[in-house]
Amino acid sequence: MTIKIPQIELSEVHKFYNQGQDNEVHALKEINLQVAEGEIVCLRGPSGSGKTTLLCLMGCVFGPSSGRAAVGGQQLQRMPDEYLTRYRRETIGFIFQHFNILPELSVEQNIVLPLLPLGISPKERQQRAEPLMERFGIEHRKLFKASQISGGELQRVAIARALINNPPIILADEPTAHLDSSRSNELMDHLVTLRRDGKTIVLTSHDPLVTEHPEVTRVIDIQDGRISCGGSICS
Amino acid sequence: MNKSIQQQLNILDYGLHSLWQKKGRNFCVFLIFSGVIFLLASFQFMSASLTRTAELLLVTVPDITVQQLSAGRQVPLSAKSLGKLDTVFGISSIRPRIWGYYFDESNGANYTVIGSSAPATDDLLDSLLIAGSYPQAGEQGAVVLGSAVLDNLGLGDRKSFSLFRPDLTQVALHRVGVFQQSINLLTADLMLMSLEDARDLFAMGHDEFTDLLVQVANPTEIPTIASKIADAIPGSRVVTAEQIRKTYEAVFSFRSGFGAACLLASLAAFVILAFDKGLGFSREDQQEVGILKMLGWQTGDIMRLRFYESLATAACAFGLGISLAWAHILFFDGGLFRSVFLGWSVLRPTFDIVPYIQGRDILLLFAFSALPYLAATIIPAWRASIVRADSVV
Ligand SMILES: Nc1ncnc2c1ncn2[C@@H]1O[C@H](COP(=O)(O)OP(=O)(O)OP(=O)(O)O)[C@@H](O)[C@H]1O
Ligand SMILES: [Mg+2]
Repeated sequence: MTIKIPQIELSEVHKFYNQGQDNEVHALKEINLQVAEGEIVCLRGPSGSGKTTLLCLMGCVFGPSSGRAAVGGQQLQRMPDEYLTRYRRETIGFIFQHFNILPELSVEQNIVLPLLPLGISPKERQQRAEPLMERFGIEHRKLFKASQISGGELQRVAIARALINNPPIILADEPTAHLDSSRSNELMDHLVTLRRDGKTIVLTSHDPLVTEHPEVTRVIDIQDGRISCGGSICS
Repeated sequence: MNKSIQQQLNILDYGLHSLWQKKGRNFCVFLIFSGVIFLLASFQFMSASLTRTAELLLVTVPDITVQQLSAGRQVPLSAKSLGKLDTVFGISSIRPRIWGYYFDESNGANYTVIGSSAPATDDLLDSLLIAGSYPQAGEQGAVVLGSAVLDNLGLGDRKSFSLFRPDLTQVALHRVGVFQQSINLLTADLMLMSLEDARDLFAMGHDEFTDLLVQVANPTEIPTIASKIADAIPGSRVVTAEQIRKTYEAVFSFRSGFGAACLLASLAAFVILAFDKGLGFSREDQQEVGILKMLGWQTGDIMRLRFYESLATAACAFGLGISLAWAHILFFDGGLFRSVFLGWSVLRPTFDIVPYIQGRDILLLFAFSALPYLAATIIPAWRASIVRADSVV
C-alpha cells in the first residue's frame, strides 16, 4: 500500500495561549503529526490535554506559536487572522460538541450560515442546501426553527452545515459526548459515508464507541500537550 | 451580481432577520428613540414654521411705524401730525393706518382689524392672498379675512356679513379675499379693510388713525429719519423695522434655544441608554458571534452586521419619529410646544400652524439623533466583533 498525500502536516508545533503574559499556557508542545487524505483520525486524552487546541490549529482557527503547520497544502504560520478565516471557510467543515446550532433560525438558515459572508445569492444557497437536507432526511423540517426539532435531526443539521461548502476536511470536537449510543452510532455512520466521499476527518473523543470504531484509521493519544503515540501516517 | 455587494446584502438580510427575532428586547429602545426624535423633530418643525411666518411678516413691515402716546398709552394720531412730517426729507411715502381689535361676542373671539388707505398693489402682498383681491380704492365694505375669522364667522360660501359699532349699530361688510395659510400666525385673526371702513367700525373721528407707516427712500437713513420724526411729533413712539425684527428674533431664538437644550439633554440620556444596552452583551449574543466567526465570518462582517442592525433601528425610529412630529404639527397644531413658542399670543383666536419643513431640517435632525445613536453603538459592535472563534469549542 502506498503512503497517501498528507492533508494535514504539523512539525515541531508549539501553541501558547496568552503568550508573554502572567497567565501564559503552553497548550501544545513539539507536535509532529500528519493526517492523510481520506483518514478518520481520533484524538484522545484527558481533559485539558490540548485536544481542542490541536483541533483548532488543524481547523485554521489560529496558527501555531512556533513550528510549521500546513493544512490542505497551505502554510498557516504567520498568516493574519483574516486570511486564516478566509482559508478556513473554504477548507474546513466543523461539527461542534453541542452542535452550536442557532435556535432562533430555521434549519435551512442554519445550514447556509457559512455561505453568507462568501457573497452567495439566496437562490444558490438554496440549491446547495436542498440536496444536503435530502441526503440527511431533514428536508421536511427545513422551515422549522432549530429549537423545534429533535436531537437526532439537530445532529444531522450540524453535519449538513459542515458540508455546505464542500470542504475537503471535516473536524469534530467530542461529537458524541452528549449522545446516547444509538445516536452516537448514527453519527459515526454519517462520518463513515463522508470518508467514502473522500473527506479527511479528525475528531476528538474518549468514547470507546468512537476510538474502537473499525473505520477509525488511527487513535492519537495526547497528554499534557504532547502526542504520546500514533503521530505518523499508517501505511 | 457582484460578490461583495451580495455579501453585504446577505449580512444586511441576516441582521434584519435577527433584529426581528430580538424585537422584544429592542422594542423599548426603539420606542424611546422614536419618542426623542419625535420631540426633537416637533420642536424643529415648529420653530421652522414660526420663523418662516415671522420672515413673511417682516417683509410686510414698513421701514418706520409711528404711533402717538399720551400718558404712556397709545392714542389716535390726527391729520395734523401727518402734516408735520412734510418738513422731514428722505421720506418716500406715508400711509395712515388703523390697527385695532374687534371682540366678537357671539363667538368669544378677538379679531385684529387693520384699516389701510392705499390698496395693496405689490406682488409680495398679492402672494399672501389665497383667493380674491385686496379692497380697491373707494370700494366700500370690502374686507380680506384670515382663515380663523372665516371659520369663526361661519360664512361658508356667503360673502356678506356684518359687525357691530360700539353703539351696537351694524356695519355691512363683504369678503373680497382670503389670506393664505402659510402666514397664519399673523393673518389667522386678521380683517383687512379700507381706512374709512375701519374708522366707521371703531367710530373714530373723521381724520383720526392709530399709526403712520413711513417708507424711506434710502434704507441707510432709516435711523436718522426715525429720530427726526420723533422730534417733529412730540410724544410719539417711532419703531423701525429693524427693531421689530430684533424683537422677534430675540423671542424665537431664546425659546428655541431653551427647548433645543432640553431636548439635546434627553438625547444625550438616550445615547447613554443605547450604549448601556450594547454593553449588556448577553451570553447568547456572545455565543452567536463565536459560532458565526467559527463558520468563517470575519471580524469586519460582525461589525457590519451590528452596524446594519443599529442603522435599521435608527432608520425606523427616525421615520416613525418624523412622521409623528409631522402629524403633531399638521393635525394637532404642535399642541405640546404651543405654549413654549406662543406664550405671548394666548389671547388670539386659535389658528393652525402650517408645517414648513425643509430637507435641511431633516438632515439636521438626522445629524443630531441617528448619528449619535450610531456612534454610541460602535463600541458595543466592536466589542461583539472581537469575540474569539474558539470561544465556542
Ligand atoms: N482560550 C484559552 N486561553 C487560555 N488558555 C486556554 C484557552 N483554551 C484552552 N486553554 C488551556 O489550554 C489547555 C488545553 O485546553 P484544551 O481545551 O485544548 O483541552 P482539551 O483536551 O480539549 O480538554 P477537554 O477534554 O476538557 O475539552 C488547558 O490547560 C486550557 O486551560
Ligand atoms: Mg476540548
